[in-house]
Amino acid sequence: MLYERFADRVFRYALTLVRNRHLAEEAAQETMIAVWKSAHRFAARSKVSTWIFGIARNKAFDLVRREKRGERMPDVPLVSPDPAPALLKQELVAGAMSELPESQREVVFLAFYEGLSYGEISRILEIPEGTVKSRMFHAKRKMAEALT
Amino acid sequence: MSDCDRVRELIPWYASGTLSVPETQEVTVHLADCGTCRKDLAEILRLKGAVENEARCLPRLPEDVWKRVAAEAYGRPIAKLDIGSFLLGFAFSASVRRGNVPVHGDLKLLGRKIRLFSVGQEEEA
Repeated sequence: MLYERFADRVFRYALTLVRNRHLAEEAAQETMIAVWKSAHRFAARSKVSTWIFGIARNKAFDLVRREKRGERMPDVPLVSPDPAPALLKQELVAGAMSELPESQREVVFLAFYEGLSYGEISRILEIPEGTVKSRMFHAKRKMAEALT
Repeated sequence: MSDCDRVRELIPWYASGTLSVPETQEVTVHLADCGTCRKDLAEILRLKGAVENEARCLPRLPEDVWKRVAAEAYGRPIAKLDIGSFLLGFAFSASVRRGNVPVHGDLKLLGRKIRLFSVGQEEEA
């Protein structure tokens, strides 16, 4: 079932984009409803994941725009607080990720966590493949600097 | 663009195994002779592992979201009747969805559902 396969992944992608749990939750909800409503229109020219992440991206940014107009943007830490000091490195990675511009952060997430090709990412983001590669290049450099 | 520049652009996707076969071969051949790009691959693999771990720590979607999605998709149930067994049974359900009240009746035969009637099902957007 699509919800089981994608809802959580969509939520995490939205969270990576908007860095706000409530907005990401709303984006995931609106995305899964939109997927259900328009499933019959999915032409299978691309992978289901590419299609769904594309919808999620639009929903997340729509919500951010609406929130900005209403001046309500509560910020919450993305990683659940964990008392274990061994997670210090985790925090460093989370910090390095959060320092990236959103345009680079989502490329890193989609490539490394979702395992999408640069072609698939270019279709989701509606940008040329060369731009995807260049965003990854800059993200990689910034993260490597932050983690050394 | 030099060979190293081109390969370095592809290395992140080489690391995640999503390159085409010719691209994978190109990168593999180049890596065999280029220590600098091998170091780049090692760095990328380290970052990739760190990002995967970080993403796994992200919170999960709360379960009540499913209820809201299901209410929009299938309607809020207002009546449900399920009689019989796995071999033979009958199910009746009614729900409210966007001002509409779809009512369904299904015959259940050997675990399969056969729709007997469906009233008030609106066109999906």
